[in-house]
Amino acid sequence: MELEQQIREALTKVALIADCTMVETINNNTVLLQSGLDSLGFAMLVAQLEEDLGIDPFSQMQIAVYPRTFGDFISIYRQALAQES
Amino acid sequence: MNKLVIVTGASRGLGLAICQQLLQAGYTVVALARTQTEALIQLQQAGLHFVAADLSELDKLPMLCSALIKQFGRPYALINNAAVGYDGVLATMHNSEINGLLNLNIQAPILLSKYLLRPMLLNQCGRIVNISSIIARTGFNGLSVYAASKAALEGFSKSLAREVGKAGITVNCVAPGYMQTDMTNSLQGNKLDSIKRRSPLGRLATPDDAAAAVLYLLSEQALAVTGTTLTVDAGSTA
Repeated sequence: MELEQQIREALTKVALIADCTMVETINNNTVLLQSGLDSLGFAMLVAQLEEDLGIDPFSQMQIAVYPRTFGDFISIYRQALAQES
Repeated sequence: MNKLVIVTGASRGLGLAICQQLLQAGYTVVALARTQTEALIQLQQAGLHFVAADLSELDKLPMLCSALIKQFGRPYALINNAAVGYDGVLATMHNSEINGLLNLNIQAPILLSKYLLRPMLLNQCGRIVNISSIIARTGFNGLSVYAASKAALEGFSKSLAREVGKAGITVNCVAPGYMQTDMTNSLQGNKLDSIKRRSPLGRLATPDDAAAAVLYLLSEQALAVTGTTLTVDAGSTA
């Protein structure tokens, strides 16, 4: 499955568990803090993706990085997966 | 019951007592310790899973947690029990000992909580119990750094309880008083006798007493208990 699709599916799953109401459309420019997912929800998204993809790019990074948009978020996972292979 | 509990510092003393009681209560137990003791080998026959780990190696903790989740599944609870307590005045305590103590007693439980909390978030249910000490509040000559680490653990627990409460996860501390364990060996003799005499119950708390408090916090009955410290000291600090 394409990475972006996997992230979107994880996002939907986590939003349901965390009882968060997401904005109708999420595109690459959507600011994460305005997407409807709260900070605990993001922690859950990272946890869900760690189970699905086997990586946690934020722990692997030497410095703290906080993606601003959904596009930034996908890009971080894409880079981490590229480094893994 | 198929609830997985991860216990650190499980090879002896309170950690071992917690593992014994958890197994008796039907939990699935993963015991972390640097070395495997005879007592742990015996508990393995009762179903305990042992994983060798040196928690002072902080860089390895993310990988350790990931491996634990892969091997055993999402944990229900984490018991942060592993700790060291160097006895000595601060003015002459070597910096490496201060660093080592703070790494194991506070950084390791924070990192283990961080990584093992994630699957609990996905389950919307979980328990974290941090083993503190009455020394976090009373103080003790020669244990200032140890006391600092335990007070830090209590502060950490209160804030984390607020952070994850809405995900159905409770975070609490158990603060045992002086117990007859390897850690209090340096207090043998007059000091322990004097603590016993001053205690309202006329005795020391035992590792089993403190372990029972941990089991309570893991139970369904403790669902509404979070962000608190349960003192088990035979009344010493009353």
